[in-house]
Amino acid sequence: MNQEQLQRLEIARLFHRFGFGPKPGEFAAAISQGAAATRSQLLTVPQSDKGLASIREPQLTDLGKFPPPGTTARAAFATEMRRQRRDLAIWWLDRMALADNALTERMTWFWHGHWATSIGKVEYALPMYLQNQRLRANALGNFADQARAMILDGALQYWLDGGDNTVTAPNENLAREFMELFTLGVDRYFETDVQTVARALTGYRVVRSNGAVTFNPKNHDSSKLAFLGTSGTFTAEKLSDFIVSRDDCAQFIAERIWYRFISDTSPLPEKNGIKTSFAKRDIASAIRATATSSAISDLKYSQVKPPIDWFISVCRALRITPSKLSKPDQALNFLDKLGQVPFSPPNVGGWPAGEAWLTAGSAQYRLQIAQILLAQGDLSSIKQSPIANRVDALADLLGVPLWSARTQSALESVTEDPARIFLLGVSTPEYLVSL
Amino acid sequence: MDTLSRRRFLQLTGGAAIAAAAPLLSIDSIAQAALIRPLPLGTPIFVLITLYGGNDGLNTVIPYQDSAYYQARPEISYQESELLPIGEGLALNGSMSGIKALWESKKVAIIRGVGYPQPDRSHFSSMAIWQSASPISHVSSGWLGRWLDRQESDPMLAISLGSVLPPLLAGSKVSGSALPLGGLVVPSGKLALDCQRISAASGGDSKLMASAATSLRNLFELSSTITPILKEPAPSTGELPTANGGNAGGNSDLQQQLDVVAKLIAAGSPTRIWSVSLGGFDTHANEKGAQSILLGNVSDSIARFMKQMQLTGRGKDIVVMAYSEFGRRVKGNASQGTDHGTSGPVFLIGDRVNGGFYGDQPSMRELVAGDLAVTTDFRDIYGTLLEGVLKTPASDVLGKWSGRSNFLRSA
Repeated sequence: MNQEQLQRLEIARLFHRFGFGPKPGEFAAAISQGAAATRSQLLTVPQSDKGLASIREPQLTDLGKFPPPGTTARAAFATEMRRQRRDLAIWWLDRMALADNALTERMTWFWHGHWATSIGKVEYALPMYLQNQRLRANALGNFADQARAMILDGALQYWLDGGDNTVTAPNENLAREFMELFTLGVDRYFETDVQTVARALTGYRVVRSNGAVTFNPKNHDSSKLAFLGTSGTFTAEKLSDFIVSRDDCAQFIAERIWYRFISDTSPLPEKNGIKTSFAKRDIASAIRATATSSAISDLKYSQVKPPIDWFISVCRALRITPSKLSKPDQALNFLDKLGQVPFSPPNVGGWPAGEAWLTAGSAQYRLQIAQILLAQGDLSSIKQSPIANRVDALADLLGVPLWSARTQSALESVTEDPARIFLLGVSTPEYLVSL
Repeated sequence: MDTLSRRRFLQLTGGAAIAAAAPLLSIDSIAQAALIRPLPLGTPIFVLITLYGGNDGLNTVIPYQDSAYYQARPEISYQESELLPIGEGLALNGSMSGIKALWESKKVAIIRGVGYPQPDRSHFSSMAIWQSASPISHVSSGWLGRWLDRQESDPMLAISLGSVLPPLLAGSKVSGSALPLGGLVVPSGKLALDCQRISAASGGDSKLMASAATSLRNLFELSSTITPILKEPAPSTGELPTANGGNAGGNSDLQQQLDVVAKLIAAGSPTRIWSVSLGGFDTHANEKGAQSILLGNVSDSIARFMKQMQLTGRGKDIVVMAYSEFGRRVKGNASQGTDHGTSGPVFLIGDRVNGGFYGDQPSMRELVAGDLAVTTDFRDIYGTLLEGVLKTPASDVLGKWSGRSNFLRSA
């Protein structure tokens, strides 16, 4: 790649990995202002965001307990629960698609995959929404605050059986995942630590329908506990603070950021600025270090765009609001077939990465959903471009660094038809992969 | 080869591979591989049937001589006259005549009271536990996926019917393949030509770009050959047992899946593991009729499949397992249904199976918090299958799990 192409590559990665792709006009403007200014702009969350201003919060209520099966109340309950779950998922898609600065949504999405909680078990929309708000409020703040908020989050507590964890019958699920998947990483503690940490987390109960977490000292193990080289009595918050302060936590979070933002195949290098910039657990600093590192323009760190990334970036290019599609449910169904629906990670480890997303079946679904979006989207930026410039205009619209010779010639043969060139463009290897 | 020409079979098995979440090989290379290495006769084949929703084990294998059974669920219990007794005070649901016939020829093992420690009553979590074979810690890989990790990479080794790959076939390094029942649907006309152009192989592609191009190209290359084959009628089965009782009439989805499996096994597909499934077992309300229809489907589909296999010469190689993520509560609820419970029976079927009962029937009188006790850990069954059918040290998949269930005939 020459210098100009490398700059396009860097700017494309900034848009796609730290946001959800450019809106029309943004990529060309970014190219003219350069990579440094673009980075600064994309990493600075504005005080207010016009794109988000029009979105109404989802109408969610505490539905209470399930009525008995077979009753009419049960049927109405199920209908309302379905509505709330659907509205919640589409509300988040709207935020991702409409945010002018998408960094906060990108980070909230990252943390959702990190603290992966599924509505498949929680069932109620309200606690999932409250968790989502917690993640958003702490998306770029201090990780110690985030972890403290999450360890007592109702949806997470329910998801990992926190309510079943009592002094007389400890349940280690939350304790284990807290250390393995959320803060330290596997093999950075001993099995006895799991058992002891589980005791520190006893005594909390969750109301599933609204995510309220209460503490019952009678069910809490208040004895002196020794683990990970410390000892004392612990509440959940104090425990969280202690674990997050460990050096292994900085290493682990740096690894997770690297995995999702840079490479899911190459390990975090020994020397990297991410861990050091996370010394005080400041997430924004770690993200800035990631976006500034030389890896961001290193060709070898290409990534597959997961279905949500692909879908949202197509929506942004077409100025589509998912909730305003003629059939929003159809979009959710396709995302389900592609294997990635917000609030429904496959397990507590979050979604897969890489080539797993590239199957013939998914190619089929992407083509179908792209045609649906295309029919309802705004193609004016292609239409207004002179036919001779449309292949370049498409690259700018989609935030693609450059087309291969193969793709270039295929696109050149369909420049007279804006819909056709767009559909083709979002199906190219250059768009499916963040180069 | 029964109804499939060798050439079309090769095209079809190539199709199975491309639906996978894993290695994207070229169709030609897979077809060639299949030509030179059809599954040797005598290689055991494992067919796994997952029943989603939590099948009510107490109304599947029924303790019809126990008064506690009738006391616990007066509205949804069965009388002896409706049932198919199989000894030890137990009877099969009346819709399961196909399984009953196989039981009489000593080809059915029923493992009783199967579950795992600290039962989880969430469908989602419990199915994840069964499929990952990891009750304590969350593991992303499936138990059969971990087996795949240790085999030579081959997208035809394990195939799941349906468009979504079940977690049980996801390994850490490789995954099984998913074969959509209806085949792949692709646009035609100009778009087809366009897509073929943008997905042409290009020397300048990075590895990931090449994978992206391959996935699109495979869609177009294969759809025209897979779809018609999958829509063909099932291969001839000769005399089949007549369906009765709970058959809903018409083809069940499970039967369609097993018909495709039968076609491919008959053709010599080098596949050691097949995964099929049936949903709808979450019978919180009006259970009796609904469950009976479903069990009839399962029973008839298995009987039909075993008959098809006998006619191919692979009959001796097949081991079928049917399981669900949990059983249901002992006590019926107010809606003529049952809520989520704990243990349930697991069925193993085939010539290699030593028919009979295994594991203790959970007591109706010594319940654990209102639920049946777990008397057999499902990992005992997995361990036996891994060693006896998949010919692999169980420790590779299950770690230090020493329990086994002795339901296979000694070779």
